[in-house]
Amino acid sequence: MNKKILSNVLFYIAVVLIALVVLFPFLWMLSSSFKTQVDIISWPPKLFFEPTLANYRKVFEEQDFLKYFINSTIVGGFAVALSLLLGLPAAYSIARFAQKKLAVFILLARLMPGISFLMPWYIIFSRLDLMDSYVALVLSHMLIALPIVVWIMSSYFEAIPRELEESAMVDGATRQHAFLAIILPLSGPGIITATTLSFIFSWNNFMFSQVLSMEKTKTLPIAVYNFLSYAEVDWGGVMAAAVAIMAPAIALTMIFQKYVVKGLTMGAVKG
Amino acid sequence: MASVVLKNVVKRFGSTTAVDNLSIEIKDKEFAVLVGSSGCGKSTALRMIAGLETITSGEIYIGDTRVNDMPPRERDVAMVFQNYALYPHMSVRENMGFGLKIRKLSDKEIDERVREAADILGLNELLDRKPKELSGGQRQRVAVGRAIVRKPKVFLFDEPLSNLDAKLRVAMRAEISKLHRRLEATIVYVTHDQVEAMTMADRIFIMSKGVLQQSGAPMEVYSRPVNRFVAGFIGSPAMNFIDATLVRGDGGLIVDAESFKVALPEAFNASLAGYVGRQIVFGVRPEDMALAGNGVSGEQNILTARAEVVELLGSEVFVYLSCGRHSIVARMEVPDRAIEVGDTLQVALKMPKTHVFDKDTSLTIA
Ligand SMILES: Nc1ncnc2c1ncn2[C@@H]1O[C@H](COP(=O)(O)OP(=O)(O)O)[C@@H](O)[C@H]1O
Ligand SMILES: [Mg+2]
Repeated sequence: MNKKILSNVLFYIAVVLIALVVLFPFLWMLSSSFKTQVDIISWPPKLFFEPTLANYRKVFEEQDFLKYFINSTIVGGFAVALSLLLGLPAAYSIARFAQKKLAVFILLARLMPGISFLMPWYIIFSRLDLMDSYVALVLSHMLIALPIVVWIMSSYFEAIPRELEESAMVDGATRQHAFLAIILPLSGPGIITATTLSFIFSWNNFMFSQVLSMEKTKTLPIAVYNFLSYAEVDWGGVMAAAVAIMAPAIALTMIFQKYVVKGLTMGAVKG
Repeated sequence: MASVVLKNVVKRFGSTTAVDNLSIEIKDKEFAVLVGSSGCGKSTALRMIAGLETITSGEIYIGDTRVNDMPPRERDVAMVFQNYALYPHMSVRENMGFGLKIRKLSDKEIDERVREAADILGLNELLDRKPKELSGGQRQRVAVGRAIVRKPKVFLFDEPLSNLDAKLRVAMRAEISKLHRRLEATIVYVTHDQVEAMTMADRIFIMSKGVLQQSGAPMEVYSRPVNRFVAGFIGSPAMNFIDATLVRGDGGLIVDAESFKVALPEAFNASLAGYVGRQIVFGVRPEDMALAGNGVSGEQNILTARAEVVELLGSEVFVYLSCGRHSIVARMEVPDRAIEVGDTLQVALKMPKTHVFDKDTSLTIA
């Protein structure tokens, strides 16, 4: 009995230690975002300080981060929505008609380094006069979202008994109708997983917007990065901006924790 | 209502032939049971009738219509699946009404039909529940209800009772039979359970490895099996098969199984003429055996055996006998004096009900 308590205590100490190591940069960032410049660079670091919102005010008022925040939301939102529109039927047919090759092909698109797409995209979008457009950015972010949707949803659909839609089809439904009336309503958890994960990955993406956007469609990570380069010394501002980027991803993850963990453990997606 | 006809239907999955040249004719309003062990192609056959599997070759007719290329929704059949396949997100009412809604019946008519089916199946209290709030037996009823509201030409059942416990299965067996008489429906019913087949069917179709072995009324396939497979499949416990030699005796033909000899009735003579002196397989059903002196008379039908295992079922007893190198099961009335393990018994065979099979082809000779 005592042994068990002891091993439990040791276990939790280990967990806390590991969590501290992993979370330290984040905690550092979070606390710094509420510190004044003086407090940030003071040595030894101050554990207790008078918090200030000045950094956030600066970020959202002077730097107009809200605009980039909205850009990220638009791009992520549309990329995910369109990916669901295309990916759900695709995933369904992969699941039901054993399109393993197609599934691997889509996974391959996911595993290829994104940078290898950028050159052709740059040329194509320039020619089409779509540089710095939402269209181009949404399309590029679909490269992130679509494979996640297809991969998660095809495993999800596979787990739904075929007899459900077969029964609907014998009852008079077309396959499309059976998909919409029977399969989709049962896929809520899978769709939440796919949506959350693909939105987060889109949100965190840096490279595509860096190349394809200019001032109008720039996403949040680029804005922070730019901020960093010319305001090098303003650590408080940088930290506040970084927190602002991470907040939605973290919030989504916490809200849909159950689904996100499930999606990640499907082994299909990797950040 | 309609007849169902399969003509030389073949279904291959890659290199496996699931259904091999199946030709069956199910009459209008008939209760047809496809029976066979697991993997013999029954479900595949049923799914081809439903249109859920394509046909490799052959033809299927429902009524007068050739349905080979017709999608399931146009075939006007209803199917009850082994796992019931109830739509989890819909209430019992919505489950049952789903097919009618698609067919654009008015809400009033849907409601009437659902109510009518619920009355028949005793589902009235459950109409607003979700499938997960139902017991196995109730789900099974809902699945049946969903089929009957449709009033289809043909009902297809794929092992609908196999997920129920034994007692419920017996009750549902009777109910489905009753339902068949009430609806006057054509039913194609698939099961691996020969008892279900025997008790429910107008006509049984026995399949093995994708091939139809025999069809006929239950008593017909029971008493006149065409081959050893059918003989062993129908009946419980299964028929005893005893390797023996056919020899000519004083009165007629004799089955010589070394450890016992029994005489065949005269009626067997004609068909067995060519087999004298050859190895055959002698078949006797456990229920066609009795303790000697208990109504079965004659001296030429008795074997002496040792009781190895005795299973008392109340009104009946299964006795597992050894007789030389043969193991034989007998199913008998419980005798006044209890049978003990190790007893030596005189067992009489009802010879007119025995069978003789060709050792090589397994076909029934007599
Ligand atoms: N979709 C399929 N793909 C490949 N083989 C199948 C498929 N469906 C059934 N089979 C094979 O066909 C044979 C008959 O299957 P089935 O009709 O389900 O048998 P039963 O219902 O009599 O148990 C089996 O050998 C099974 O493995
Ligand atoms: Mg089956």
